[in-house]
Amino acid sequence: MFKDLDPILHSQLRLAVISLLLSVKEAEFTFLKEKTNATAGNLSVQIQKLKDAGYIDVIKQFKDNYPQTICKITPAGVKAFEQYVKNLQAYLK
Amino acid sequence: MEEKNLSEQESLQIIQQMINTAKQEQKDDGVGWIIWGWLLFFASIFTWLNIQYHWFKDIALFWNVFGICVALYWIYRIIIYARGRSREKVKTYTADLFAKLNSGFFIFLLLIIFSMNIPVRGVPPAKGFMLLTGLYGFWILVYGTALNFKPSIVCAYITWAIAFAGLFIYKIDPTEGGEFKLVMLVHALAVLVGYIIPGHLANKEFKKLHRKDKQSV
Repeated sequence: MFKDLDPILHSQLRLAVISLLLSVKEAEFTFLKEKTNATAGNLSVQIQKLKDAGYIDVIKQFKDNYPQTICKITPAGVKAFEQYVKNLQAYLK
Repeated sequence: MEEKNLSEQESLQIIQQMINTAKQEQKDDGVGWIIWGWLLFFASIFTWLNIQYHWFKDIALFWNVFGICVALYWIYRIIIYARGRSREKVKTYTADLFAKLNSGFFIFLLLIIFSMNIPVRGVPPAKGFMLLTGLYGFWILVYGTALNFKPSIVCAYITWAIAFAGLFIYKIDPTEGGEFKLVMLVHALAVLVGYIIPGHLANKEFKKLHRKDKQSV
C-alpha cells in the first residue's frame, strides 16, 4: 500500500536543502543558496518551514560583524528523510 | 530552483544531485599534502647534500629550518582560528575527522622527534626517521580511506614498506653518520611516494571535478 509522501519534504527546494544537510555536519545559508540556485527570499521561507517542522536547526549569529545563518539537520529530519525515501521507493517499485 | 509539483523520479533526481554536490565538498584539493611533502622532501635532500658536501657543521640545520617553517605555519593557523576567520561555508564530517586526526598526528610526530633528541638513551635519529615514515603511512591510509582515494591507500602501504626496509639501512653502511645519510634519501623517497605523488593526483582530480561542476551549472 502506498503511503503519502511527507508534504514538508515533497517540495523541490526543501528536499534539496534536506538532501544537502544530510551529507554535511552543518552549512551556512550562503552555501545552501549557492548549491540550490534559489533566491534568498524563497530559501528563507523554505528553511523556516523545515525549522517549524523540527527537521532542521537554525543558528543565527554574527561573524566578523556580519550576520551568519547556520543550518543543520536534526535527528527528526534524518528520520523523516529516511521515511520519505522509503515511501518513494514503494512508489517506484 | 522554482517550486512545482514533483514526480517521484524528480524527487530521486534532486536527492541524488544534492548528495553528489555535498560529496564534492568532502574532496581534498591535495594542496596540504603537496606543501608538506615538498617541505619534507627538500629538508631530507638538503640534509643529505649538507652531509655529503660538508656545507655546514650542524647536520640538522635544514631540519631546524623546516621546524621553524612548521612552527610559523601553526602560529598562523592558531591566529586564524582564534580570530574566527575560517572562510568555510560548510562543515563536513570528514573535515572534522581530519582536524582531530591532524592534532593526533602532530602530537605523535612531536613525541617521536622529542625521543630522537634525548641524549644518550634516545631513539637513534636514523631509526626515528623510519618511525616518522611509518606515522606518515598511517595518516595517508586514514585520509585515503575517508576520502575513498585509492592512490593514497596504495601509497600508504608502499610508505610502510619503505619504512620497514629503512630500518635495515645500517647493513649497507654500518657507520652512524653513513646510516643517517642514507636514511635521508630513503625518507625523501617515502615522502615522494606517500605525500607528493598522491597529493598531485588528488589536486588533479579535484580540479577536474570542479571543472565538471562549473560546466554543469
